[in-house]
Amino acid sequence: MRRRHLLGSLLLAPLLTACFASQGGDADSSGDADSGSRLRVALAFPPAENLSPYGADATILSRLGVTEGLTALDANGDATPALARSWRRENDRTWLFTLREATFQDGSDVTPAAVAAALTHATEARPAPAALSGVTLTAEADGGTGVRVTTGAPDPVLPLRLSSPSLAVLSAKAYDGKDRVDPAGTATGPFELTKTVGSTSAALDRYDDYWGGRAQASGVDVRFIADGTARASALRTGETDIAEAVPVAQAATLDENTRKESATTRTTSLLLNAASGPFENPALRAAARRAVDSSALAQGVYEGHADPGAGVYGPAVTWAEGKRQQPRRVKAGDPDGARITLATYDNRPELPEAAQVLKQQLEKAGFRVTLEVREYSRLESDALKGRFDAVVLARNTLVDTGDPLAVLAGDYTCDGGFNIAQLCDQNVDRAVRKAETIADTGERQDAALAAEAAILGTDAVVPLVHQRVITGVGTSVSGVLLDPYERTLVGAGTRR
Amino acid sequence: MSALVWRAVLAAALVCGIGLLPWLTRTDPALTVLKARSADRDPGPAVLADIRAGLGLEKGPFALLGQWLGGLWRGDAGRSWLSGDEVAPAVLHALGVSLLLMAVALAVAAVTAALVCARTLWLGAHRRLDGRRAGGGGSAVLAALPEFLTASVLATVVGVQWGWLPALGWYGPQWTVLPALALGLPAGAVIGRLLDDLLPGAFAEPWALAAAARGLPGRRISRQAVRRCLPGLLPNLGLFVVGLTGGAVAVEQSFDIPGLGRTTLQAALAQDLPVLQAGTLALVLLAAVTAALAALATRWLVGPALRDGALPSLHRPSPPARRILPLVQGGLLIVVVALGLPRDPLALDTGERLRSPSRSHPFGTDALGRDVLARVAHGALDTLLLALAIGAVTLLTGVLLGLLPRLSGPLVDTVNAVPPVLLALLVTAVAGSGPATPALAVGVVAWAPLAAHTSALLRQERAALHVTATRGLGADRWYLLRHDLLPAVLPPVVRHALLRLPGIALALASLAFLGLGAQPPSPEWGLLLAENQPYAERAPWAVLAPAAVLALLGALAVSAAGGVAGGRRRRGRAGPRTPAAAATEAPAASRELVKTG
Repeated sequence: MRRRHLLGSLLLAPLLTACFASQGGDADSSGDADSGSRLRVALAFPPAENLSPYGADATILSRLGVTEGLTALDANGDATPALARSWRRENDRTWLFTLREATFQDGSDVTPAAVAAALTHATEARPAPAALSGVTLTAEADGGTGVRVTTGAPDPVLPLRLSSPSLAVLSAKAYDGKDRVDPAGTATGPFELTKTVGSTSAALDRYDDYWGGRAQASGVDVRFIADGTARASALRTGETDIAEAVPVAQAATLDENTRKESATTRTTSLLLNAASGPFENPALRAAARRAVDSSALAQGVYEGHADPGAGVYGPAVTWAEGKRQQPRRVKAGDPDGARITLATYDNRPELPEAAQVLKQQLEKAGFRVTLEVREYSRLESDALKGRFDAVVLARNTLVDTGDPLAVLAGDYTCDGGFNIAQLCDQNVDRAVRKAETIADTGERQDAALAAEAAILGTDAVVPLVHQRVITGVGTSVSGVLLDPYERTLVGAGTRR
Repeated sequence: MSALVWRAVLAAALVCGIGLLPWLTRTDPALTVLKARSADRDPGPAVLADIRAGLGLEKGPFALLGQWLGGLWRGDAGRSWLSGDEVAPAVLHALGVSLLLMAVALAVAAVTAALVCARTLWLGAHRRLDGRRAGGGGSAVLAALPEFLTASVLATVVGVQWGWLPALGWYGPQWTVLPALALGLPAGAVIGRLLDDLLPGAFAEPWALAAAARGLPGRRISRQAVRRCLPGLLPNLGLFVVGLTGGAVAVEQSFDIPGLGRTTLQAALAQDLPVLQAGTLALVLLAAVTAALAALATRWLVGPALRDGALPSLHRPSPPARRILPLVQGGLLIVVVALGLPRDPLALDTGERLRSPSRSHPFGTDALGRDVLARVAHGALDTLLLALAIGAVTLLTGVLLGLLPRLSGPLVDTVNAVPPVLLALLVTAVAGSGPATPALAVGVVAWAPLAAHTSALLRQERAALHVTATRGLGADRWYLLRHDLLPAVLPPVVRHALLRLPGIALALASLAFLGLGAQPPSPEWGLLLAENQPYAERAPWAVLAPAAVLALLGALAVSAAGGVAGGRRRRGRAGPRTPAAAATEAPAASRELVKTG
């Protein structure tokens, strides 16, 4: 009888261990002080597509310091050198990038041919990476260090575009597989992806021959924890060194000195349906705009972890400060009990709360408001079809390319693909189209702000708050890279 | 054999239903897949067309379904639409994790159930049960605890603040404790309640008296009593096993466990059909296996007695009704509602957010500065009425279908195995998103445990001696049903249904994120719990108040049910309640038949 128990437990043990998740990497081999210890990071969004570099997972790779592109974005939203040391515009459609000396994590050199091949692979991906939507692009090697990129139409923001994580440069080995691109050991960043466990965890090792110098941490153990409370708990129990995107509700549970706040390009706005319903009338839109008290939202709902809405672009877009133009607006009308539906989604817990505060503010002004709260993917198509009178939406205003005009063209012009406000205004379209043709950065920014003023003037969008992202960083950790574009987090200088 | 065919038909219908889901709800899978892959991506027509081409959506649902089924034959469950990974290994791994979690939770549930029944067992073993009131207020409170609340409290207090056990992840045995507690406590409380309900009947049976007279130790009598009652519970235990395996979403999320519940939830939202089909099929298979095991166990426990019709009836000698307790509980509930009703549940003031209880806000305020007492009171009526209405309908359906075990058995298992979100999506697909849909989506699952309970009790009751006697006197099936079977089966099932009332209220709220059910700022109780959960640590009162009234409702339902059922029994069968009287009940019923017939 006893023997059978023993046999049973012997058989059971491997079965049981198979039912547990394996811990990312060899967490205990954290090395001596010289070589630096491993960092433990809790990320919010689990990889959805096996860390494919062409979708949203590309951001994960970029945040962890695995992949790099030809260019990067600096704090002001300008393109700065990454794998390309410099670049110049040869003519309207052609740019020449000069590469720096670097090696891939598989040991091969970063050659112009390899870079051109990587970019070509990106253009052939289906669906196309977001940074390349609506753009045709060819890349070819030019001499020993040059890569010539030619676009189908003149593209003044190409260096910004190439900073997108989805246009990361990988070695030829990454593209060997038939159905997927493999970033493990084929990228150029300071850390090399060595192991992934489904969408649960991943392990990175330091890449010693990184062109920017050897990283301080010997490796990174990443856990993907979708639940915000759970991420905050992980930091509080010391199970992780860095916890990404701590929800506002949990911020107060963290120690003051572990809470790092940074402005983001995400703006939460109230979008008013300008094509049908009560808000077809500009005077009512103006009434709604006047009813909204955005500082009450920033303080009351976001507990001060957000800035009151100033425009489409927030304080993270540093160049917009001081250059902003005052929009010309119509006089507010009397809502007279107009019935409206206000929709939002619950993927971010603050949005339903913000919507409830808005409901009260709008009702005080004379509207009658019904709320509709759903999961985002159940809401979006109805919102795009204009089924709601108003939508509260958080939107990244420097989407994918880092070009400030992309969001204006996509969200507020007649042909815009994401025009939830259903806005179709000649002035707006003209202003956006004019700005899109300008190549000079400063002038382009001025024109973008003029277009922003035209859009705000229609009152189809009421900026509510500009969110700050709260990153939980353990007290012993230094060198975390917090940027408003949410593209970096761990870099060569990050250590604990 | 026919049961097997019926089971297969149900599973096939389910898989086909999932395969057609996007086309029935008219929700483009290309869009949901895109949003699950990358929420910020604009859904331009070119992008959607590329995804459609990549997934082969143009071929239409039937071709896709055929392709998937063809692959299934070879053990290939296709590739995930989301990640492109092979589905079978991923789903099997998640299933393994969930089964382990469920096994530990079941152990916790067993201990909880034992604790709930301990008093009855002890009293019964010492022959002191007569005239004692059944306990159970505590277990009803425990059964009404929402899993997500227990989970977050355990994770925060035990895991983070005390640091006794790891609160996050799934790396070894010590990681299983807290999630298993969160799942096992309410489940154990329900099972314990049901067992506690049957035990006095078993102790009142002649064999127990004989055993006691012969000097058998009380422990052995108790063990036999539990064994005697288990068959009535096994089907429900099976339902719990399957339900916990696939439906532990909240617990998996708060403890970051890569289980099947989360996998299917994500797949359901993204309409990742291959994963959804494979996950559901695995759960339905698990349900079938569990049901078969439960049947085997029943046969092993009481098989010969069932076959020979030699079971005494499990009539519980009715305890003196509790007159005071339900009044106290009901009174408390009424006082809370009465105090809160004059207050405004919607007036928000963000300057007053998360205030702790004070004179001006007896229950504190929530994250938007609203008075929690007002919200609890104003939500009471809606919550109670809706939960009661759904509860009544599910009770009726459950009992009716429970009378037809051959038809309902496989149906119960299948319905119970399907993750609730998926079921809600399927119901929405069929019924549209009208006002009745959330009630329908909840009701479509809630009847299952009641039907299982009815069937199990009925099976035993049919084998009882007095039924044989009545049949021998020429009673037809209707007479038997009305005068012998239903009166015996109904009271425990009604008490069971009442025990599940708080669960119905919670289930309603869990559908809100699909745009079904109550929408903010409505103060519906389930919604109150959900919206205050993120603040559970900073403002515990905002979740504790609705949780407490929900628990109070559970306790009230149970204690009031005891009174109701007891009252009816007394009217039917007068006389002192002694085991001897219980044993002579059957002839009394037969005499009645002779008189009326």
